[in-house]
Amino acid sequence: MTQDLSFWTLQTLNALQLSMLLFLLSIGLTVIFGLMHFVNLAHGALYALGAYIAATLAGTAGFWAAILLAPLGVALVGVVLYGGLIRRMRKSGPMAQVLVTFGLIFALLDLTRILWGDLALAMSMPAVLSGQVDLLGVSYPAYRLFIIVLGAAIFAALALVLARTQIGAMIRAGVDNDAMAACLGINVERLFFVVFCVGCALAGLAGAVAAPLLSVTPGMGLQILIPTLIVIVIGGLGSLKGAIAGSLIYGFVQTFGAVLAPQLASVLIYALLAAVLVIKPVGLFPAKG
Amino acid sequence: MKRATMATLAAATTLALPAAADTVDIGILLPFSGVYASLGNEIEAGFALGLETYGNDLDVEIILHREDTEVTPATGLARTRKLILQDDVDAIVGIVSSGVLGAVRDLVDGAGVPLIVANAGNDAATGEDCSPWITRVSFSNGQVNRPMGRWMAEQGIETVYTLAPDYAAGRQMIEGFAGAFTEAGGTILGSDFTPFQQTQDFGPYIAQAQASGADALFVFYAGGEAISFVNQYASFGAAEDLPLYGSGFLTSQLYVNAQGASAEGVITALHYVPTLDNPENAAFVAAFAAANGRLPSEYAVQGYDAARALTEALATGARDRETLGAALRQVSFTGPRGALAIDPATNNIVQPIYVYETVTGPEGMTQEVLAALPAEADPVNGCVMPSLPTN
Amino acid sequence: MFRHTPLRHAVLAILALAALMQAFTAGYFGLEILIEILILCMLVLALDLVAGFGGMVSLCHGALMGVGAYAFAALATLAGLDPWLAALAAVALTAAVAWVIGAICARSHGIYFIMATLAFGQMAYSYVFESPLFGGDDGMGGIDRFDLTAIGIDLNDSRTFALFCLAVLGAVYLFATAILRSGLGRSLTGVMHNEKRMKALGLNTWRIKADVFGLSGIIAGIAGVLAAQHIMFISPGLLNWTVSGEALVVVILGGLGTLVGPLVGAVAFVVMKHQLGEVTTYWHLVVGIVLIAVVMSRANGIFGWAEARWGARLDRRLADATRSPTPEEVTSDA
Repeated sequence: MTQDLSFWTLQTLNALQLSMLLFLLSIGLTVIFGLMHFVNLAHGALYALGAYIAATLAGTAGFWAAILLAPLGVALVGVVLYGGLIRRMRKSGPMAQVLVTFGLIFALLDLTRILWGDLALAMSMPAVLSGQVDLLGVSYPAYRLFIIVLGAAIFAALALVLARTQIGAMIRAGVDNDAMAACLGINVERLFFVVFCVGCALAGLAGAVAAPLLSVTPGMGLQILIPTLIVIVIGGLGSLKGAIAGSLIYGFVQTFGAVLAPQLASVLIYALLAAVLVIKPVGLFPAKG
Repeated sequence: MKRATMATLAAATTLALPAAADTVDIGILLPFSGVYASLGNEIEAGFALGLETYGNDLDVEIILHREDTEVTPATGLARTRKLILQDDVDAIVGIVSSGVLGAVRDLVDGAGVPLIVANAGNDAATGEDCSPWITRVSFSNGQVNRPMGRWMAEQGIETVYTLAPDYAAGRQMIEGFAGAFTEAGGTILGSDFTPFQQTQDFGPYIAQAQASGADALFVFYAGGEAISFVNQYASFGAAEDLPLYGSGFLTSQLYVNAQGASAEGVITALHYVPTLDNPENAAFVAAFAAANGRLPSEYAVQGYDAARALTEALATGARDRETLGAALRQVSFTGPRGALAIDPATNNIVQPIYVYETVTGPEGMTQEVLAALPAEADPVNGCVMPSLPTN
Repeated sequence: MFRHTPLRHAVLAILALAALMQAFTAGYFGLEILIEILILCMLVLALDLVAGFGGMVSLCHGALMGVGAYAFAALATLAGLDPWLAALAAVALTAAVAWVIGAICARSHGIYFIMATLAFGQMAYSYVFESPLFGGDDGMGGIDRFDLTAIGIDLNDSRTFALFCLAVLGAVYLFATAILRSGLGRSLTGVMHNEKRMKALGLNTWRIKADVFGLSGIIAGIAGVLAAQHIMFISPGLLNWTVSGEALVVVILGGLGTLVGPLVGAVAFVVMKHQLGEVTTYWHLVVGIVLIAVVMSRANGIFGWAEARWGARLDRRLADATRSPTPEEVTSDA
């Protein structure tokens, strides 16, 4: 165990990469919750769908086309889900909404099995990203750097949109008080729709970029669901700041826990979650106090 | 000539009632859902092909009762009880996970029902927990990896870092390898066991292994974890400093094409690869590919040989639990894997182990066999084999 | 507050009769399914108690059942305790664990409560999964059922064991109704509807929640002990959050906060699972669609729907027939 500087650099990069992947997933989930007050448990299934679409497309259309088209495809599924289910559930209680999405998990899981089979799929990364890059004295996989950069770029873009644009202001108003926002003439329904679709697209993007890194299996959506929920609950629901903070905390605790305290690795993150909820029952940076 | 019939549960229970002289009821106990569903399907495909190839000339009707273990020991045990108590089967074939095997062991042993294990490699099942009723035609975790430990030491590899998922099979695979490797003069520089089915990012562990400065990395992963691991290992570009070796399940034919070029150059050891050069294998590969549109994996051959073992036992005239149990232990034949026999001391299969390198072939990834290591029986490992009660 | 309506009595009677008939006539596998239903019934009663009457939607009840099962197995097989003593200790331990979880999570609400309970459940799951003492992933076997041969009852016989589970379920049901009718149960419902008001009235609300969670843990613990004895083998999968998730689905499918509804849900769920499982391995798809349909229908589950449709009418007719005073409002007293 040579724990010199390069070890820390390398593991920090690993932690960042995991954080960014989780960020892509959790941001959609948390903003949808902030606006619409329900947790879309099927978010993980959408991520799996993104990975499957990307893995299928990559073979014929290439990596970049796959990574662009998969989020669009998942967003399209999001449109169907919104029109068919979510909109009708808007007036029901949060419990009903959680359960509908729970049913969706079951249904989507088996649908992916029927469409793509039980065998794991894989997606190869483009040649330009398949090598390593020398960075801060360590040689690090280019593809992982790509994920870090992509995550950071999306974070920056979202921060800009939320802080500086009109639609950002509308979303912030909606999160703060949707009834008041509607009174001010904001078309809340349309806002919900847009945010839901963007959230779905980001989940699809997360699945697409994760596909070359992980194996694409029917269970991957369920596997990622719990970490994503932990991220948004630690961070606090509804805020960009919460999503990025939760993702970073999860990524670093998981990565360094795995190498420094392997016996505790799997219990550590749950203990952290419990601790956060005991100290701050609504997470670190909730959108509303 | 009667055909082996696949019967659904409903049909089977009505058919099974009056035990006509020449029918046998066989329980198929495999995961058809859950993480190992693909293995269950692969074994069943091999088993069906085996029955078709060897079962038609027997003057006996084989009635199959298919049960899904869902890879859960408790479910597996409940389904086994159903097979034994309600369907009154004469023998059971299958079991993918060692956990399920451990759960049903006492039941089949106590009830005296022959069980042909078609995958689960738990060393104890043919070691301290061995039973005259449990015959394994697949492999044991130690068996696959011990020869590889010696072989790697012979290649001049002095230090190794190991990685495996943190569960019984993972630990036994590494134990088998590490024991033989250190005995042959090698040193294990470090071992990590990753949380089973919860680890998706192996980056931290690979980085840890790289930092150890070992000559080589030896790992065991299977299923989705194997694909993730091989892809992530390749992306770190560690092949020059830390070449990847492993238990052959890592680059199984079942998912080597999902790993693609990442698997290039990985050297592993297993009891079967589809490129083995012998006439039995050529016939098997051709028939399997014709029926399923893909090359068979080790799981398929295990199912195929389980059917072969069953039909060989039936060919001796065995028709009920006692006679089948006794006949299964005597089975030996030459199949796609080479010459196979059952070790009477443990009821485990004795088979050659093949070291192979995954290389790029004309149609995707394929296997190049580097060495065929001679078959050797497992150490008895505390197995005291009682003889089968006669009558 | 919980009240028995004639419809509820009727459904309970039908369920009990059906279970008895099944117990006396079914073959081996039918009995296995019956026992599975009976044990699931206990788990969903425990869950309905906290979720339906206290608004505490828990995703750790599967883990609580697992704690009961593992504690019983460890005490009975590893420590060699008398099975009855082991069962008692296991149930007490589960109740204590549940009380602590309830006390810690009581301050959280909504999704935070769900996540907090999930965290504790997954902690227990991870611990058992990796603990060599409990056999890790491979689980533990060699678990014996209660020995009642002294009074001429052999629980190793499936039929007898099914009847035994049915009797325990009856007792558990009475226990649950007794809790709900007690002062504690009434306060709990008050907390669910308006926690601030109950606080203002001077009630210690977290204490109420924790106490009910602990009592619910007793039921989950009993379910765990019986689950361990039923299969005679336990593995960590019992504690996984998906078990809790499925239990929640059953509660909703049947009718949240009706106590009778979840029992109906358990029967429907297990029967559907086995019937579909024989036809297709994709039975989750059908369950998912049914779940979505039930929730979309706006009804409070199967039983809630029946109650809304027939409950009032049936009650009126029965009331006319017996000329007994009838409660004004009969539906949705959750």
